Amino acid sequence: MTEMNMAHALNDALAVALADDDRVVMLGEDVGLTGGVFRVTDGLQERFGPQRVIDTPVAESGIVGAAFGMAIAGMRPVAEIQFLGFSYPGYDQIVSHVGRIRNRSNHRFTAPLVIRIPFGGGIGAAEHHSESSEALYAHTPGIKVVAPGTPAAAKGLLLAAIEDPDPVIFLEPIRVYRAIKEDVPEGRYTLPIGVAEVVRSGTDLTLVAYGAMLRDAGRAADALAGDGVSAEVIDLRTLSPLDAVTIVASAVKTGRVVAISEGHRTAGIASEVAAIVQEQALYSLLAPVERVTGWDTVVPLKRTERDHIPSVDRIVTAARRTLED
Amino acid sequence: MEPLRILEVDGHLLGPSPLPLEEIRRLFTALLTVRAYDHKASALQRQGRLATYAQFEGQEAAQVGSAAALRPDDWMVATYRDAAAMWMQGYPWDTLLLGRMGDERGGAPPAGVNVLPPSITVGAHMIHAVGLGWAEQMRGTGRIAITYFGDGATSEGDFHEAMNFAGVYRTPTVFVCQNNGWAISMSRERQTASETIAQKGAAYGVPGVLVDGNDLLAVFDATRDAVDRARRGEGATLIEAVTQRIGPHTTADDAGRYRDEATLEEWRQRDPLARVRRHLQAAGAWSEEWEHDVVTTAAAEIEAAVGRAEALAPFGPGAAFDRMFARPTAVLEAQRAALLGDGEAGA
Amino acid sequence: MAFEFHLPDIGEGLAEATIVSWRVPVGGRVGLDEPMVEIETDKAVVEIPAPRAGVILQHGAPEGATIAVESLLVVIGEEGETWTPAPVAGPQARSGALARPIVGNLEEAAGAPVPPGRARALPVLRRLAATLGVDLASVRGTGPGARILRSDVEAAARGAGPVERVRLSPTRLAIARNLTRSWQEIPHVTTFGSADPTALLAVRSRLGEAAPMPLEALLVGAVVPVLGQFPEFNASVEGDHLVMRKHYDIGIAVDTPDGLMVAVVRAAETRDTAGVAAEIVRLATAARSRSIAATDLRGATFTISNIGAVGGGYGTPIIPYGTTAILSVGRADPKPVVRDGAIVVGRELPLSLSYDHRVIDGARGRAFLAAIISAIETITG
Repeated sequence: MTEMNMAHALNDALAVALADDDRVVMLGEDVGLTGGVFRVTDGLQERFGPQRVIDTPVAESGIVGAAFGMAIAGMRPVAEIQFLGFSYPGYDQIVSHVGRIRNRSNHRFTAPLVIRIPFGGGIGAAEHHSESSEALYAHTPGIKVVAPGTPAAAKGLLLAAIEDPDPVIFLEPIRVYRAIKEDVPEGRYTLPIGVAEVVRSGTDLTLVAYGAMLRDAGRAADALAGDGVSAEVIDLRTLSPLDAVTIVASAVKTGRVVAISEGHRTAGIASEVAAIVQEQALYSLLAPVERVTGWDTVVPLKRTERDHIPSVDRIVTAARRTLED
Repeated sequence: MEPLRILEVDGHLLGPSPLPLEEIRRLFTALLTVRAYDHKASALQRQGRLATYAQFEGQEAAQVGSAAALRPDDWMVATYRDAAAMWMQGYPWDTLLLGRMGDERGGAPPAGVNVLPPSITVGAHMIHAVGLGWAEQMRGTGRIAITYFGDGATSEGDFHEAMNFAGVYRTPTVFVCQNNGWAISMSRERQTASETIAQKGAAYGVPGVLVDGNDLLAVFDATRDAVDRARRGEGATLIEAVTQRIGPHTTADDAGRYRDEATLEEWRQRDPLARVRRHLQAAGAWSEEWEHDVVTTAAAEIEAAVGRAEALAPFGPGAAFDRMFARPTAVLEAQRAALLGDGEAGA
Repeated sequence: MAFEFHLPDIGEGLAEATIVSWRVPVGGRVGLDEPMVEIETDKAVVEIPAPRAGVILQHGAPEGATIAVESLLVVIGEEGETWTPAPVAGPQARSGALARPIVGNLEEAAGAPVPPGRARALPVLRRLAATLGVDLASVRGTGPGARILRSDVEAAARGAGPVERVRLSPTRLAIARNLTRSWQEIPHVTTFGSADPTALLAVRSRLGEAAPMPLEALLVGAVVPVLGQFPEFNASVEGDHLVMRKHYDIGIAVDTPDGLMVAVVRAAETRDTAGVAAEIVRLATAARSRSIAATDLRGATFTISNIGAVGGGYGTPIIPYGTTAILSVGRADPKPVVRDGAIVVGRELPLSLSYDHRVIDGARGRAFLAAIISAIETITG
């Protein structure tokens, strides 16, 4: 066990993957020489060489398309797109090809690649650098979408993603890359994709969150505990496929659900959680499912971005509403 | 740029042949076979037995000549118009037909045939060939990747990204552009202000070669050079094979709306099969009887493939759920149950 | 074998096409994939090659005609073959069952344990319960999966104190249905009388030495001839007709654990007393052991109910639906009677006759009962 933040934990995962399996290659803008703009790939090119950790031209579609070809040929590429807001030029390659090749060829050709993409706002970045449009990818068949919220989970999930025989979009919450430190096991381990985790047990209501919002959900739970309200917290970890079993079990247990997502409100991940809860746990509900989300506006720039990203206060307020009779 | 030509329209050689006569005869057999397939597929489409079909008549030499230069395990990433090239590389007629019938098994060639399903999107697939070749280079297998695309595809952004990556990483990728004059109704002249497509290679540090696409021997020669270069680790090549699409864009198109008869007739005079036939005739290596036998045999084989493809029962209603991942997720299983009406959905 | 070929959709969403020219006439021969007909669509003029080799037996439409996709284009067969159009088939049955909707499934996730004390109820019902002052935790849900329904909440609000709910059996529900119908449709009059049971009881005693002789068997024997004289008592009212039956299928009320059943002695007029007795015993046994056939419970033309067997006296029997009368016979207990001007201890057999007043008047009812009484008092077995 070593105490690590998420950036280190991810770096560790990549090192393990590169060392264990020579089919693994990394490619992306600035991932090699400079170790990535968030230093997540720091030191890897030195250790594994420029043939394994490849700096690419500025070409998101090219990065995804080339990684796609490599994966079909039997490699295990881990591509990086620098920010979720820059993934759109590569969106066509993902939606039209990466997610479809297995279906198109009836399993004859498959694409076991990982596309790592930092996402989310709250660091005062320039326009386009704070996107939380993961719903676009969750809505796409043939790909899995993972978004860890803590360092140890991040490492285990990334190693699982690299091992997965199918394409995985791996979203890394930028504002908690360094903000959370915890003990992370050394060596290789994986966590199952498609399984949500109850990270905090409670009885009065359930907070469902992922990515950077997980930390805020925890803080909201602390605040509620101060009022004698016991909040259960679920870390979704995988956005597609969503773990309905865990979500519903908690909804049945507590009867009150608050679904939290930094993404835009309409057709977002929180909407899907609400749909699942009302479909399968309606008779246990003591209140409507609350959604605490980003708004249907373009993500505001630094000065007012805090009005967009759900705050701990908004989560607590929504939670309290579920407690009203 | 003057296009490379070896075999003149009248059948005589302008320079040394890159292939022995026996091999030319063998490739002529292939030309006859693929033309028979093209005609059969067109007929099937008009009988409602295939969905839209994109004819390649006129482009046979560009596809057969280039594919002939490959090793059997080389990767091929081609388009919906390149059935001839794909078949040359081992993609069965049955499988090609299934694809046009709208069955996903049409995307599954046998193991060992490294040919991806035909790309329906325009311009997005060349980068895949870059990735494939790149991976083979990393693993030192000696395999290369060839990719086919049309003049229209060179306008897509992904052409630029593919050529750029190929140039930067010196991937063993052979880019074959069949400039057949048209992107549906858009003529080559209006597709790009560049005088040739081959010259675009220079912008990426990739050699560009202009070839008479209806000259089987020139196409073969240029592709063999490019393939050898790639295998030696010297990087990619862009080949522009100038040819003409004799038919319409697809069976849902009327080329008479945008192409005049004179142009069409001019190109018919330069038919790729005719000049090889003349060459073989002059060399005493052809007879009408022999050609008739070849065509009859090919037609029978293709007819048998049609029979097999049409006899294959379609997938059942729940099958799509198995094709998304190695194993269906719980979400997919629940949706399948809802479709089949025997359980509860919602996952 | 003639091959019918229908105009395919060859143009991605084509709806119809016009026949420009037939390349091969009717009767002409065409080879596989050879040009057969030229058609014009919105997009292009297209030649359709023959899907079969053979002789053209029929053109689906003439040159110049516009036909819809899927309509007959051509029939190809052999030399000398004839072809006639098949009858128009009905619309194709929808294949496959309607799939259940993805949303709208209201069952809980399998295996999710319900916390003790947490009732399963729609949120709207929780609100209703709160409004009515009902504690949901104490309400037993009668919906699927023990879900609490609106009716459960409302019942809980009404009900004072504990109740026991028992679901009525199908038999009981059937009995209830029939009685309700009788009661609602037939104007009942009940007339009372009594008979001296001396002869009846003596005969029963004598015949009962050999085999069980239920009282009903003797009553059947007494009643059937009287029914012959009073046919409107062995009848049914059907619309504006009185249907008097010429056969005597006498219903005998049998008390079973599932409720009162009327078992039918068919064609009682053809049986002797012993035969009727045996049949009644068989029916009663079968009824009580729940093995009686449905046919034995249907079609009584007149019914006798021996309530005396369970200690009854007079009563107001309900006429079985589909008949016009029923006779109830009570227990002949000892009681003070007047004989020859003196009060002595005697027995009287209480008789209660209900009849359908739509078709039977009071005088007729009294006359019938008097005849029954006479028959009983003069019975010889």
